[in-house]
Amino acid sequence: MKRGLLFFVVGLLLGGVQTSFSAEAHDGTVMPELFLVTPESEQHRDYLGLSTSPGDKFKVSDIKADILIIELFSMYCPFCQKEAPLVNELYEVMSQSETKGVTVKIIGLGASNSQFEVEHFGETYGVDFPLFPDKDMSMYKALGGTGTPGFVGYRLKDTKQPVNVLRNSGGFYNAHDFLKDVIDNSGL
Amino acid sequence: MKYILTLICTVFVSVWFQNESFAKNVTEIDYVYDPGVLKPIDSQLKVFVGQPAPGFSLQSIGGERISLAQFQGKQNVVLSFVPAAWTPVCSDQWPGYNIAHKIFEQYHAVLLGISVDNIPTLHAWITRMGTVWFDVLSDFWPHGDVASMYGVLRSDGMADRSLIFIDKKGVVQDIIVTDINVRPDLEDLVGALKKMNGI
Repeated sequence: MKRGLLFFVVGLLLGGVQTSFSAEAHDGTVMPELFLVTPESEQHRDYLGLSTSPGDKFKVSDIKADILIIELFSMYCPFCQKEAPLVNELYEVMSQSETKGVTVKIIGLGASNSQFEVEHFGETYGVDFPLFPDKDMSMYKALGGTGTPGFVGYRLKDTKQPVNVLRNSGGFYNAHDFLKDVIDNSGL
Repeated sequence: MKYILTLICTVFVSVWFQNESFAKNVTEIDYVYDPGVLKPIDSQLKVFVGQPAPGFSLQSIGGERISLAQFQGKQNVVLSFVPAAWTPVCSDQWPGYNIAHKIFEQYHAVLLGISVDNIPTLHAWITRMGTVWFDVLSDFWPHGDVASMYGVLRSDGMADRSLIFIDKKGVVQDIIVTDINVRPDLEDLVGALKKMNGI
C-alpha cells in the first residue's frame, strides 16, 4: 500500500515536471524590424520611452526596456478575453518593481484588429499597457505567431540585435513565475 | 511489475490530466473546419434601406421562438447572419460581439445571431465558445428560409456574412454584407448603430 502510494506520488511529480516544461520556449532568433505608430497617450509614450511624436512611426526595438514582451491577441479571441485579467496582472507585476534589476515591458499586438477594436478590447478589460493594431497581420506573421493569445519576448539590453527569449503559444498560469522564466531565459 | 504498471499509468494519467488543464493554451482552434477561400459574396439582397424588414420567427438555442415582431416599438434589432458553425471566421465573430454588449445597449439594440445550422449543432458550437449574451437562432428548416427572404442565402446553402440594422419601427436602416472570408470591422457595426440612432 505504502509503495503504491509512493509510486503514485512519483508519477504525479514526473507528470508535473513534463508539463511545466511544455509551457515556454525560446529560440534565440533575431527580432524582425517592426514599426508601430507612436501612441496618442502620453502615459504610453513615457512607458515605452519614446521621443517620437504621436502618429509618427517608431522602431519596436527602440522601446526602452531590457526585455520586451509582445502579446499577440485578438479582440475576437475568447481565449484572449479570458486571459486578459492575468496579462493585466503580469503588467502590474512588471511595473511594481524591477525583478533582479531587469526592466521588462509589454505591448499588445491585435492580430487582424483595427485601432477601434484594440481600443475596445483595452477599455473592456482595463488594459493599461499599450495595444497596437496589426490589421493585415503582417507583424504577427513576422513574429512567427501560431495562434492567440501568444507571447514573444526579446532581450533588448546588451545585444547587437534583439534576440528571442520567449515564445509561448497560449496563455500562462502565474504572472510571477512567467516573468521569472522570461528573465531566466534572457540570461540577464 | 504491478508497481511499474502503477507508475506508468499514474504518469500517463497525470500528464494527460495536466495537459487537459492546459486547454487555455490551445490557441489553434483545431476543432473548426476550414472551408478554404470562398466566393466573397454569393447572394443578391432582397431587402433595401427604408423598406419594412420581412417578419420571421425562429427557434433559439435557448428553446424559445424569437420573432422580429416582438421587438417592434421597443428596441432596434441587428441581425447577424453568419455562414456556418465550426468555421474559422464565424467562430470568432460572435465572441467579439460578446464583449460589445454595452455598445448594443447604448444604442438601444438587440442582437440576433442567425445561422442555417440546426439547433444541436448551434448548441454545441456556442457551448464550445463559452456563452453569448444574445439569442442565437436556427434558420435550418425550411432550410435558409429567413436568409433567403433577406437575400443573403448563398448557392451553397450557407448565408452570406451580413448585418441587417432594423429600427424600432421595423424598417431596415442599414445593411452590411461583407466578404464571407473576412470578419466585418466592429467600427462599421458601431457606425451603423450610431446612424440608426441619429448620431
